Amino acid sequence: MKMMYGMLIALTPAVLYSLYAYRLQALLLVLTGILSAVAAEAIYQKVTGKKVTVKDGSAAITGTLLALAVSTSTPLYALGISAAFGIIAGKQLLGGVGKNLFNPALFGRLFYLFVFADSILPWRRPVDMTTAATPLEILRESGEAAAALDVYSVADMFLGRIPGTIGEISALALLLGAGFLIYKKYVRWRIPASILATVLVLSIVAGQNPLFHLFAGSLILGSCFMATDPMTSPRYPKGQLIFGIGIGLIIMSMRWWGWQTPGVYEFTEGTTFAILAMNLAVPYLNSKLKPARKKS
Amino acid sequence: VRLISVLVVMTAVGLGWYVAKTSALVVTFLYMVMVA
Repeated sequence: MKMMYGMLIALTPAVLYSLYAYRLQALLLVLTGILSAVAAEAIYQKVTGKKVTVKDGSAAITGTLLALAVSTSTPLYALGISAAFGIIAGKQLLGGVGKNLFNPALFGRLFYLFVFADSILPWRRPVDMTTAATPLEILRESGEAAAALDVYSVADMFLGRIPGTIGEISALALLLGAGFLIYKKYVRWRIPASILATVLVLSIVAGQNPLFHLFAGSLILGSCFMATDPMTSPRYPKGQLIFGIGIGLIIMSMRWWGWQTPGVYEFTEGTTFAILAMNLAVPYLNSKLKPARKKS
Repeated sequence: VRLISVLVVMTAVGLGWYVAKTSALVVTFLYMVMVA
């Protein structure tokens, strides 16, 4: 319970920045995400005769995370349906908190990417709301991180002066929240650390600007707030490192694959797919990588 | 149409397989990761 509300506090800087960047549209998206997720959970639990647990805050977190992971062009009904799907299919179907296989916010986001694919575009710049390509779209079109850095500086990407989903654009706001979570020990630090380290190493190996890859797309939002979900991430240190490295490898391979074969794969962001794919490995990692008990 | 296709895949796999729920979710995940 304490952790759930800690997570909501940690998301506050990103939510506030999205309100500054996208004004009323961001407010409507965040409210729709939260209300849809909470309502879906309460209705499902009422209908199935289970105890209503919306006060634990987990549905509100799912709704907030999903709202932060969509673009300003998203119709409110699309977000509402996706949040309800994420809660019911991704969480409640297997018995609720602690029994879910996938991160519900990401399961809802995958549903949104598939069902509402034609309502994602256009991307808009913060504040002036003009349409523009995201850094990863420029990377895909040109094949060079340098081309994207001609349009947006690393500082733009760090501070949030780039187009993208409403919650992913400001790395600074996200890192402030992530710092709070790690300081309070609400999340397992090895997971974001191993994801970000893998991305850094692979971008250096590829001869590309590592900071570009670190601040582009929803890498920080996904690695600090979604991959660290205690219910769908490994319990033990070794498993957490493998989980994080796996996510980093999938993200970078999708970014490379995306721009090396334009037209074959149009989504430039692999964070959603990477974390959901590694969620599937969690039961195995938990059972196989239990630390040996110390002999007394 | 896409929404209905997700629900149909999920229901069909779940009922056919028939804690069916796990396989329905995994197959739905793989199905969505829908070539577009």
